[in-house]
Amino acid sequence: MSSTTISPEILSLIDPVVSGLKRHQIVGDKVIALAICHLLMKVISAARWTNPYDLINIIRKVGTILHTAYPRKIITGNIVRRVLAIIRDEIETENSNNDNTPMMSSMFSLLSTNSNTSHKVQHNQSKKQSSDFRSVVIEGIRDLIDEIANVNEGIETMSVDLIHDNEILLTPTPTSETVLQFLIKARAKRKFTVLVTESFPNDINTAHNFVKKLADHKIETILIPDTTVFAVMSRVGKVIIGSSAVFANGGCISNSGVAHVVECAKEHKTPVFALAGLFKLSPLYPFNGDDLIEVGNSGKVLNYDDFKFVENVELVTNPLDNYIPPEHIDIYITNVGGFAPSFIYRIVLDNYKTEDNKLE
Amino acid sequence: MTDKEQSFDITKTYLRFLEEDSDLTMPIAAIESLVTMLRVKQPSTSSELIKLVKSNIDTLKTSIPNAISLSAGCDLFMRFVLRNTNLYSDWESCKKNLVENGELFVQRAKASRERSAEFGVHSFSRVVYHLLLKARTEKLIRFRVIVTESRPTEKGYHMAKLLREADIPVEVIVDNAVGYVIHKVDKILVGAEGVAESGGIINHIGSYQIGCLAKTNNKPFYVVTESHKFVRLFPLAPNDLPDDIAKIIEKSNSQEQDRDLLKTHLIDFTPHEYITALITDLGVLTPSAVSEELIKVWYD
Repeated sequence: MSSTTISPEILSLIDPVVSGLKRHQIVGDKVIALAICHLLMKVISAARWTNPYDLINIIRKVGTILHTAYPRKIITGNIVRRVLAIIRDEIETENSNNDNTPMMSSMFSLLSTNSNTSHKVQHNQSKKQSSDFRSVVIEGIRDLIDEIANVNEGIETMSVDLIHDNEILLTPTPTSETVLQFLIKARAKRKFTVLVTESFPNDINTAHNFVKKLADHKIETILIPDTTVFAVMSRVGKVIIGSSAVFANGGCISNSGVAHVVECAKEHKTPVFALAGLFKLSPLYPFNGDDLIEVGNSGKVLNYDDFKFVENVELVTNPLDNYIPPEHIDIYITNVGGFAPSFIYRIVLDNYKTEDNKLE
Repeated sequence: MTDKEQSFDITKTYLRFLEEDSDLTMPIAAIESLVTMLRVKQPSTSSELIKLVKSNIDTLKTSIPNAISLSAGCDLFMRFVLRNTNLYSDWESCKKNLVENGELFVQRAKASRERSAEFGVHSFSRVVYHLLLKARTEKLIRFRVIVTESRPTEKGYHMAKLLREADIPVEVIVDNAVGYVIHKVDKILVGAEGVAESGGIINHIGSYQIGCLAKTNNKPFYVVTESHKFVRLFPLAPNDLPDDIAKIIEKSNSQEQDRDLLKTHLIDFTPHEYITALITDLGVLTPSAVSEELIKVWYD
C-alpha cells in the first residue's frame, strides 16, 4: 500500500487546502466539506492510474494528509471516505459485469475465497476504461456536492411535522445554520417561542446575531443565560441541537455546554432532537470523548489582564466542543429522514465501506 | 470402505485440535474438524454430504458440554455448505471448493483475532488477552489490569498469569469486590462464549453483574469477540438459554461440587442494554448491529 507516492502536481493541489485548514481560514462544516469535495475532484482528474486500487491508495494518502492538517475535524475524513465508497462501488459494479461471483457479506467473507487481493492483481484498466471510470467517479462526487449544498432543504421539510403551535423550544447551539433554517422554515406554518442560550464565552456574539435573525422572522425569541437552563427546562417542549459530527454509536459532537443541556433535558424527560446533515455521519467509534474535543483560548474564561487572580488558579480550560452520548439524544433529523441513535450504524454502513475506516 | 474412513471420530478430532493448539477457539476447532471429516470421508453426492455434516454436527453438539460457541461455528459451516452446494453445477469442484474454503476460513478466523482493536477484565478470554498483549507490545500503551478470579472456574488466575508474563501490571480480585474497585476502572473488557441476536452476550458467570455495575457507574463495558461467535439465539433471561446447554451445565456442576448446598452455574446472559459496544473483526459494532450481521448470513 505504501508503495504509491503522491506526485508533485497533486501535492500542489492539496497544499492550499491543507494550509487553509491549519490556519482555520476555511471555517464552517459545510464550507470545509465542499472544499474537500472540490479538492478530491481535482485530485481525481489530475491523478494517473492503471488500476483503480491505485486511485484508492492515492485518495487514502490525501485523506491522511488532510486529517493531520486538522485532526479534530471529523468532517474531512467523512468526505474522503464517502468518495472512497463511491470509487469502491464503481469497482464493484464493473467487476460484477465481468464475472458473476456471488456477493458475500462481511461475516461470511471469512468463508469465501475471492479476496480483494486477487481482484487487485487481475484488474488493470485500459485507457478508455479508466477515463470512463474517472468520469463516473467525478459524477458521483458532483452528486455528493449537491447533497451537501442542499443539506438544509432536506432537514427543513421535517420541521413542520415536529414543531407544534405555541410550543416552547430550546436551542443551545446558536452557531448552527441548520438549526436557524429549520426554525425559520417551521415559522411559515407554526407560531412558537424559542429560548436561545447565551453560550458564554465562545459564541456570545453569534448567539446575539442568531436571536436577531429569528426575531426578524417574527419568531418570539428569548435569550437566556446558560445557568438558567435547568430552571426553564420544565416549560420547554423540545430541545433542538445542531451537531458537528455524529459517530457510528449514535453519539455526537456539539458546542460546549450542550452536554449539560441534554442532561437537564433527560432529567425532565424533554425530547432532544439533533440536526445533522448526512455528511456529518462518521464511521468512527468514539472510544474516548476527551480525545475528540477541541480546546480554545482560556483567556476568554479568565482574562489574562486579571493577573492577580490568574496566579492563584491552577488550571483554566475552555473546551469548544462537547461529546454527547447516544442515550441523551432521542432522534437525529438528517436530510434523509429521522433516525434513532441506535440506527445510525445502519446509515453509516449504507454510506461508507468498512475497509476505509482506517485511512493510514 | 477403508479402515481410516470407518474409524474417524469427530469428537476425538475436535478434542485433538483443541489440545494441539491452545490458542484455538471452539468454533474454529469445530469447523476445522468438520473440514477434516469431509476430507477423510469423501462423500460422493451432495445429499450424502449434507447428511454427513448434519450428523457429525449433532454428535459434536451432544458430546461436548457447554456448546454455545461450538454450535455457532457448526451452524455457520452448515449454512455455508447449504448455500454453496446449489451454486456449483459440477459436484467435484463444489466439494473441492468446500474443503479449500473451509481451510481458508480457519486461517482467516485465526488471523481475525489479531485484527480486533484499548481496564477491568472478567475471567479469561483469548481475544481479550491478545488485545491487551497487542496494546502493550505494539502500541506501547501503559495500563493496569484488574482481573476477577471468576469462580467457579477460577480462570481469572490463568488470565492474570499470562498478563504478568507479558509484563502487564495485573491484580486479581474476588468477584465480590467488583463494586469496590469499579470507580477507579476506566473501561471494562469481557470476552464472549456467544453473542445473541439482540446483541446481548452469553459469557462466563458474573458478566451480567459487572455489566449492571458498569452501567450504574457510567463505565464503558466492551465485549471483545470474533464475529463467528454470533449465534441465532434470542434469550430473554439468563435461564432462557436452550435446554441442552443448561442441562449440561447442571451436570458438570454436580461433578465438580460435592457440597450439595452450593448451586452454581457456569454461564450467564448479559442483555444488550448493558453493553457499550462489541469490538470484533468486523469493526466496532453497537449491540443493535449484531442482528444485521446475522441477517446478512442467514436470510439473504
